[in-house]
Order: sequence, then structure tokens, then C-alpha cells
Amino acid sequence: MSTIAVEVIYRGIFQKTMAKHITRGIVLAARKEGKVGIAFGRYGDSPERNGIPAKQFAIVADNDEELQGSIAKYEPTEVDVAIAVDDALCKGVESWAWYGLQPVNKLLKENGTLIVTTTQSAEELIPHIHKKELPYNLAVIKGKASFSGLWVYKNDHTDMRVLGALPRVAPHLFGSPALESAIREEWKDELKVASAEKSFERVQIRKVKPEEGNPEIPYSFTMPGWKSMEEGLVVRAIPLGSHFPGHDGGYRPERNPYFKKFTTRTMRPVVDFSKCTKCTLCWLQCPDSCFDVTPDGYYDANMEACCGCGVCEAVCPVDKCVTMVDDTRFDNNNGEWEMWKKDKDGYATWLASKIEHRPERSHGFHHRGQYEKERIEQTD
Amino acid sequence: METQASMDIQKLDSFKGVKRVTVEEYFTSGHRTCQGCESALVMKLMVKAAGPRTIVLGSTGCMYVANTTYYTTPWVVPWMHTQLGSSGSAGLGTAAGLKALMRKGKMKKEPINVIAFCGDGGGIDMGLSAISATLMHPQYNLLILCYDNESYANTDIQVSGASPWGANTTFSPPGKAHRIMHTRWKKNVAGMLAAGHPACRYVATVCASYALDMMNKVRKALSTGGPTFIHSLDPCPKGWDYDPMYSHELGELAIEAGIFPLYEVEEMKLKFYGKTKKIVEGRLKRRPVKDYLSRQGRFAHFTEEDIDYFQKKTDEMWEKWILPGVIPIQPEKDGGK
Repeated sequence: MSTIAVEVIYRGIFQKTMAKHITRGIVLAARKEGKVGIAFGRYGDSPERNGIPAKQFAIVADNDEELQGSIAKYEPTEVDVAIAVDDALCKGVESWAWYGLQPVNKLLKENGTLIVTTTQSAEELIPHIHKKELPYNLAVIKGKASFSGLWVYKNDHTDMRVLGALPRVAPHLFGSPALESAIREEWKDELKVASAEKSFERVQIRKVKPEEGNPEIPYSFTMPGWKSMEEGLVVRAIPLGSHFPGHDGGYRPERNPYFKKFTTRTMRPVVDFSKCTKCTLCWLQCPDSCFDVTPDGYYDANMEACCGCGVCEAVCPVDKCVTMVDDTRFDNNNGEWEMWKKDKDGYATWLASKIEHRPERSHGFHHRGQYEKERIEQTD
Repeated sequence: METQASMDIQKLDSFKGVKRVTVEEYFTSGHRTCQGCESALVMKLMVKAAGPRTIVLGSTGCMYVANTTYYTTPWVVPWMHTQLGSSGSAGLGTAAGLKALMRKGKMKKEPINVIAFCGDGGGIDMGLSAISATLMHPQYNLLILCYDNESYANTDIQVSGASPWGANTTFSPPGKAHRIMHTRWKKNVAGMLAAGHPACRYVATVCASYALDMMNKVRKALSTGGPTFIHSLDPCPKGWDYDPMYSHELGELAIEAGIFPLYEVEEMKLKFYGKTKKIVEGRLKRRPVKDYLSRQGRFAHFTEEDIDYFQKKTDEMWEKWILPGVIPIQPEKDGGK
């Protein structure tokens, strides 16, 4: 084994700086052991968009020749370690049109390790992660997904805790002394070294067998090559929408069939239809046109199209009518209005159980020093 | 010489209330924009207002790159990409082309809306000359809509002529020695275009937080005919650095703080709208700009002193530009006597 590849799968913009720190930290630590390496982002992900899954890579090799052989690629064909810094990514990622739903463990080698930062346990995560033919390890680092903005970095040490876990899950990458020395040199902060050390001890690793995981076959598309394109590079327009499916009235727009966008979501809206005044605002203000109009004039968020921005909750004038809740508490994209129509009492119970998992919105506006308190809570 | 009156234009009445807004979407889901992208909302509302017989042209920017990833589209109406600085030329050429095809009988004679959109980089910086030239051609019907997210957002937030004073961008990162790296005030685009183009009969400013007002101004522009221009302020969760759920609220704050006034200039007559109108008439006090600035990561480096300066400049903008009639040109004192 002379080349080791690590990928960081993260939320575009929100975790861009953190992903950079992780991949950079890997290379710097490997250099301390006399290896060479390179950290880079996947070209196609740039320009990143808020929330849309993106990747950065760190490749470590014994010598320059081997490194060069590995970097002349768009992305590695397989990785030793995959790091998902948001547990909602475990459901799979769709970064662009035609890409389809890619399982988060897709590139993992046999007995490679998937590291996830999460507040859930490995047992809770595995049903979301697609089945893989080869066995792999799932390493859990306890913590909320750390989201920042483009200009203000949430310095809560999540990056250091991911780095600290690496000597445990992949000792052939680098050892703890090399990592600590690299952190001291690059970030000049003993607290960061301490965060990495604690993570080394605390990371929990579990073997995942080939029969474990989500049995669903991820959706995929065949991308047209230049020979199958229409003359003049014409792309056919989306047809006009039609009635709400299965009904005479209402309206559902047709949607781009090759990009669904829902893997961008970490939260999803649940709607209490009994409170809805049909004011139209969620439907009108949704930048992704994700609300279908129901035959009785309600607005039903289509979960294949919703990217979880939360504008609907923000503009809704009725208290607790639209609520953004944790998307990892769902295992399907079923419509909510049909469920409500069928069984209103059952829906009310279901709704209450989902609202229970309402996370605090963690990527709010930013001030310097805003996150200091949170860092102390997470690292102690 | 052909006059404006001979031209066929669609008569689009104002939507009387949100419940009357058409249910059909002509810009639909499946675009790769940021969560909470206000510019994507502008696209959706713009064509919702314009209706199905509309051709849209888009110059390079987020609304081109993010919307049409490799061989896919979210557009229901015909859409074509054009170069970064050429929204004006593409709009004019399309309007002229349609007219010629109809005149020659190669196309059914009917009024078709032409809308060319551009970002602030494409419209306020590079494409300004082409827009200016287009607004001088009264015999063609087209609307140019500038979706202004106050930076070159597509290429990761570089300074544009529309970026606000002091904002953090890739070209103006605050440092230890120099905190404020962008020291120019935002260009007064709608005012400039309205003042300098006698052939243009309609110029307006909009914000999608006020969706009905925005759609009705698009309908009015298209119904007015000739070349028209709309400037839309679009909060950008990525470049302004705030939680995507606050896109709507940031738009409202920009209007309430008087950062961006809502108005139209129709046949050289200025009319203010919404909260801006209330502020102008003295029925509403402008909110402190601090309420707006402190919600955004791009101003996180601001000190109290910087906020005070921004407030002072905004007050000046109101006294010198907005209240006297959007452009800061006034006769010299006693000059008329």
C-alpha cells in the first residue's frame, strides 16, 4: 500500500472551510512522517452552492511519482477513508444533474472506514446508509453537524476531532504524534491538540457487514454523450404541469427529472394542515417551486424537490403551521397532505412525534466569538 | 417612422391579491442553486408574471450556471444563454428577430414577451453599455431584469459595482491593518437608466420579498412596451452569509432600512411603492441600518464606527438622491433667479 486516499463529503459553503482544514491537516500530518500528499476539491463542485453536497480529497503517498499517478484524476476511484461531516449525508448524495443518488459509502475500499459526525448512534445511522457488497467500518464522532458561512468560520473544533480520529481508524495514514505536531505548527493552539487527542480516545468504531444497511437501489440516469444530443444543443423544456396526481383539481408542476435536489436537505418542513389558512406565502415564496397545490387548495411540499431552506417556515404567518424538523428522522419522501387526508388524528400524532426532533438552526448569522461557548460544550 | 402605438404587446393586468396569482409554474424545480436562493425566486416570479408566451434570455451568472447543469433545464418557457455583458443586445436582437419573422409571415403574428435577465456583474458592470443602447430603441418590446445579489456570486463572491460599502468579498477580505477593503458606494442603477434614456418608458426597482408588487411591476413593464428595465435586490445567503431561511426577511430589512428604495419611473414620472412610499411620506421611520447589517456575515468585521458611517451615507443617499427624485442632480442654489 503506497497511496492512501481520503474523501470528505460535506455541505457546500456551510462546511467548505472545515473540509479544507481536514484535508489540509491530513497532508500536513502525513508530511511529518516523511510522506507526501495533496489536498484538493472536486473541480465540478465549484462554485459551491449552500447545502449542495460537495467533496474534497486528501491523497497521501510514499513518493512523488505515486502521488502524481493518483492526482491526475477527477476524483479517486476508491478511498480508504470517507468522512461525512453531516449525518444527513448518510442517505446518499446528489451533487449535480445526471449524477443520480450516490451512496455515501460508494467509494470505500473493502474494510475501509466511513467516519460520520453525528449525535445518533451507529445503529441508528446504518438503516439510512445504502448496502455495500464489501464489509466496512463505521466510525462515529459525537457532535452536531458544524455549519458555518462563507465569511465567518464556526471554530468549534469539529475539524480537529475528525483529524484526531484518523490515527485510530487508519493508523497507516499517520500516527497521533505526527498529527499533534502538525496541528501545533499550523494552528498554534493547544486546545485544538487537546480536541484531537480526546477524539482519538472517544471515536466509536463498528464493523458493518455486507447485508446491513438500506436495501434500496439508488436512482441513476444515463447521461447523454455528445452523439446523443439534439442538433443545436437544444435541451427540451420542462412540460407544463397538470392536476395533483390522482385528482381532478390542484396543480403539480413538472420538474427537472435529472436533478431532484432533496439530498441538499438537512431539515424538512412538516405542515399542520389543520392550522393552514391557505395564505399562499409558502407556495409563492419557495425558490424551488416545491409546493404542489392540492385539489382543496392547500400547499403540499414535494419532498423530492424540497432542499430544506426553511423559507416556508419563515414566511408562514401562522404559529406552528410550517415547522422545519430533522430530516434524518424520515426514511421516505412521501407526501404529507395525502397522509393527512387519510387519517387526520394519526397525522396529528405523527406530526407531534416529528416536531419533537426539531433541531436548533445551527447555521444562523455570524459574529466573531459567537461559537466559543458551543466549542467548550463539545470538547469538554 | 414606426411609432410605439403600432406594436403588438400583451396586456397583462395587475394581479389583484395573492389568491389571483396564476398557479402555473414556468420556471420549476430541479435547479442547482443555493438553499434559500432569492434570485431563483425572482426567476420563478418573473415568468409567472409574464405568462406562457414569453422568451427568456439569460446572461452568464448564477441564474445561468446553477440553473442549467449539463443538458438539463428548469425552464418551461423557451430560454437561451447569452454572454456575460450582452443581455441588452440579446434581448434587442430577439425582439427584432421576432418582429422580422412576423413581418415576413414566417411566424404567426402574436405578441410575445421578451425578457433578458442579467446579474449585477453582467448588468451593472459589464453589460451596462449594451443595456443603455437597448433602452434607446423604442420600436422593440423587451424587458431587461437585473437580479442584483450584490456580487459576482456565481464565481464565489467578487466585488461588483453593486456591492455595498465595506462588505467582505473575495476581492475585499478584511484584514488586520485594513478592515474596510471595499470603499465604494453602490451604484444608483435604476435612477441612472431612468434619467438618461428618454426612449425607455418604464424603469422600476423590486424586491421578491414583496412578491405581488414585484410580479405586478413585471406585468406593467411588459404591458408598457418598448424597452424597459427592472432592478431587483436579491438577498444572497451564500455571499451575504446568513441562514437561508432569512432570505425573505433580509429583503424586507433592506427596504425598511432604506438601503434599497422601491419605486418606478413611468413616462418620467416617479412613484414610490410599499414601505419606501411610507418612508418618503413620513408615515414610517427608516429602521437603523444596524438591524440589516448585523444579520449578515459579510459585515461581521464592522465596528460601531463602520455602522455609523454606513448609516450616515444612507441618510445622505436619502437626502441627496432619493427624496429629491432618485437622482442626485439639483439646480444650483438660486441658480434659476
